[in-house]
Amino acid sequence: MSVRLHPFELVEPDTLAGALDALARLGGEARLVAGGTALVPMIRLGLVKPDRLIALHRLPELAEIRRDGGALELGAMARLADIHSTPIVGESWPLLAEAVRRVATPAIRVSGTIGGNLCYAEAASDPAPALLCLEAEVRVAGAAGRRTVPVVDFFRGFYETALAPGEIVTAIRVPPTPAGARSGYVKFTSRSAEDRPLVGVAALVVPDASGHWSDVRVGLGGVAPTPIRARNAEAALTDLRSQVALLDQVHRAEAVLATLRAETYPDWPSTSNDEGHNGHERSAGDSPI
Amino acid sequence: MKLALILNGRPCATDVPDHWTVLDLLRDGLSLMGTKYGCGEGVCGTCTVLADGRPIRACLVLAAHVRGRALVTVEGLERDGRLDPLQTAFAEHGAAQCGFCTPGMLLAAKALLGRNPAPTVDDVREALAGNLCRCTGYTKIVEAVLAAIPGAR
Repeated sequence: MSVRLHPFELVEPDTLAGALDALARLGGEARLVAGGTALVPMIRLGLVKPDRLIALHRLPELAEIRRDGGALELGAMARLADIHSTPIVGESWPLLAEAVRRVATPAIRVSGTIGGNLCYAEAASDPAPALLCLEAEVRVAGAAGRRTVPVVDFFRGFYETALAPGEIVTAIRVPPTPAGARSGYVKFTSRSAEDRPLVGVAALVVPDASGHWSDVRVGLGGVAPTPIRARNAEAALTDLRSQVALLDQVHRAEAVLATLRAETYPDWPSTSNDEGHNGHERSAGDSPI
Repeated sequence: MKLALILNGRPCATDVPDHWTVLDLLRDGLSLMGTKYGCGEGVCGTCTVLADGRPIRACLVLAAHVRGRALVTVEGLERDGRLDPLQTAFAEHGAAQCGFCTPGMLLAAKALLGRNPAPTVDDVREALAGNLCRCTGYTKIVEAVLAAIPGAR
């Protein structure tokens, strides 16, 4: 038996000015809806009962994905599926493409938007740690004009953002990935690949000519009330001796794992064929089901 | 709220309450019962339909969001009385037991084959991620999708 949504009136402005006007005029329990992948379940579960929704899907300028000089401009309504499949994103912002591709499932990424993901302000966000590492900025419009908020300042607390009443996120600006950077996103889930991250780790390092990491950035999701930059880890890892020790540990751990696999499970199938690991780290090539 | 769209290849004009989702529109507005209500939270995948060839969760997407778009439900897979090759393959491979997940599985697979006519096993598994089946364990479903690839047999 289906559970119907608590009734609301839907407002569908076709300009940003119209959306801002509607938000200012309606205020109160009016909510903005982007893709709906987070808000609709919240309404169905009765966690929020807005009497009006302002839908942003008729604002084409908010859906653009484009290069602006060396930066990437992602309209707030850019769909996650479109972001990770846009060639310039994969080529020049591989960390972002990788993290966005790990959000939920293909059908959720077709509807879900980058602006919606950030405004939901869930700690267990896949894109947020990557955007923290890339030092992205959130573009905001309101009745008083426009402003820009660094992503690191955008998250204020548990499901809480820096948006003031009446403000709308219009775009995310991602500066160029530093030259020579190496990066990756690792997501740990407790059950299956489409879950929210129990822990999501985005890391970006810039090695210099000698291989020393001169610039180390680590973003974490799922471990604090908001996605965070792991500043202490970054500081520790910028130290050369720490890097040597860390790499030594990684190599030793890899060797132990390889030995365990070979000795304990001689007939163990490749990880792409087995189901239902507990607490398994899912890399992009692993089986999602 | 007035709504016009293309449903299973045919123009469809209707009037629905503002708060209806695509699933409400299909099942309650248009009496198309092939699309199932499972979790209502976008997690189980059984309400998957195609919008402009891409998979969406009908329980999460507002009806207004598909205005002017082309929707395909499981009822639209059959053409001129002939089953889609995916449907035939599901039947031949025993890829359905209780059948509740089958419409969503078929449409998630249809979306995959629409953009990638030669998917690998991993591509199939990734495309079906989030479509839960509590009967079959997925093996036969994956085999059926692979068998429906053009030129697979």
